[in-house]
Amino acid sequence: MDKDELDKSIVLCRACDLAVRKRALPTGVRALCPRCHTNLYDTPYCSINGMLALCLTALFLYFPANFYPVLELHFLGSVRTTTIIEGAMSVADQGYWIVGIAVLTAAVIAPGLLIASVLAQILIVKYQLNNPFFRDIYKRLLRYHGLLSQLTMLEIYMISIFVSVFQLSDYTDLYFGIGTFCFSVLFVMVIFLQREYDIEHMWSVLDEQ
Amino acid sequence: MNSKKAAVQGQSLGLTCCQTCQNLCPSTDECCNRCGQRIAARDVTSLQKSWALLITAAILLFPANLYPITIMTSQGQVRRDTIFSGINHLIQLDLLPIAIILFTASILVPMLKIVGLGIYLMAISYELPISKKKLMAGFHIIEWIGRWSMLDLFVISITAALVNMGQLLDAKPAPAATAFALVILLTQLAAKVLDTRLLWDRLESKDDRN
Ligand SMILES: [Zn+2]
Ligand SMILES: [Zn+2]
Repeated sequence: MDKDELDKSIVLCRACDLAVRKRALPTGVRALCPRCHTNLYDTPYCSINGMLALCLTALFLYFPANFYPVLELHFLGSVRTTTIIEGAMSVADQGYWIVGIAVLTAAVIAPGLLIASVLAQILIVKYQLNNPFFRDIYKRLLRYHGLLSQLTMLEIYMISIFVSVFQLSDYTDLYFGIGTFCFSVLFVMVIFLQREYDIEHMWSVLDEQ
Repeated sequence: MNSKKAAVQGQSLGLTCCQTCQNLCPSTDECCNRCGQRIAARDVTSLQKSWALLITAAILLFPANLYPITIMTSQGQVRRDTIFSGINHLIQLDLLPIAIILFTASILVPMLKIVGLGIYLMAISYELPISKKKLMAGFHIIEWIGRWSMLDLFVISITAALVNMGQLLDAKPAPAATAFALVILLTQLAAKVLDTRLLWDRLESKDDRN
């Protein structure tokens, strides 16, 4: 019975524990903690179908973005190419496997898991939320969402492609490939997906039943 | 609920915000009723963990900056560049914008992160009279900007994979790369494990305004 007596109109700030009374917000506005300016809650707008479309596009681009080279180098008639994974491997091969793992995690594994996780969450919300087994999986996915989202660093990788081009342009000629194009579109899709996704909304789906 | 006059904290209401899903729970509960994770009104041990991670990161900052991070061979000539000399080299090549980006991501951000987190943790541990609002603003900036240090490691991995033409042109990572990767990992962890609610409890009596 305790749970029903809780005053659900109060929110506690995650960062400073301040109690704030919840108010209705206009669309597109975020409520910030008046004391420490941490994000408190968003407008409950999170289009499941819109996210599904973004997710499927991202998933479709994920494979070419990782299997086609993101950069090509032409030097005295010979051509060298690299994919993101080959980049990580070449560092690891030199004995710097911590660096290799960091690159692989931030640019390949975390984005892939993030897309797969959001897709699974959407499918569960749409079709299987009453099934206790899937409900449990859904909770697990939500728990790791924050971590995956933080580990996904596609925007930083995008910038580093350009930095590499400028850095090496002094020595040789560099060209973009299909992989670069797929990667940039993937990066845009994931940015939109993260913008659309609202973790509080996804958690609150569980309360409704 | 007027926050200006009396700041009511969840702790005094007997309520706890679940750190996993932000659900409102009674402090007497052991686990959150929505996500099932353990809840605690405050995680006091997080302060020690955060200090340990931060100190290790600060020590690793020295090898990361003093040892070479890349080895570049061009027409038989070998260059060993530290983070700083690499940026210097870029300035000489008239690539000022790139130099500024790399300077920010590889030198400025890690230093600011370590100094900033250090001040933040000291403010909690020794109850320093520093504005909590400013500390928290700094903390949010650190959380957001910290990941950009990965830029240099991405660039090194791309360059190492592309440039491998033996004596003519060759780029390889060097020992500082691992130290630098660990600095990023440890500082990010130090910020992540910390229960920031501790700051707002301890300084309550002293400098609350500004
Ligand atoms: Zn707050
Ligand atoms: Zn919870």
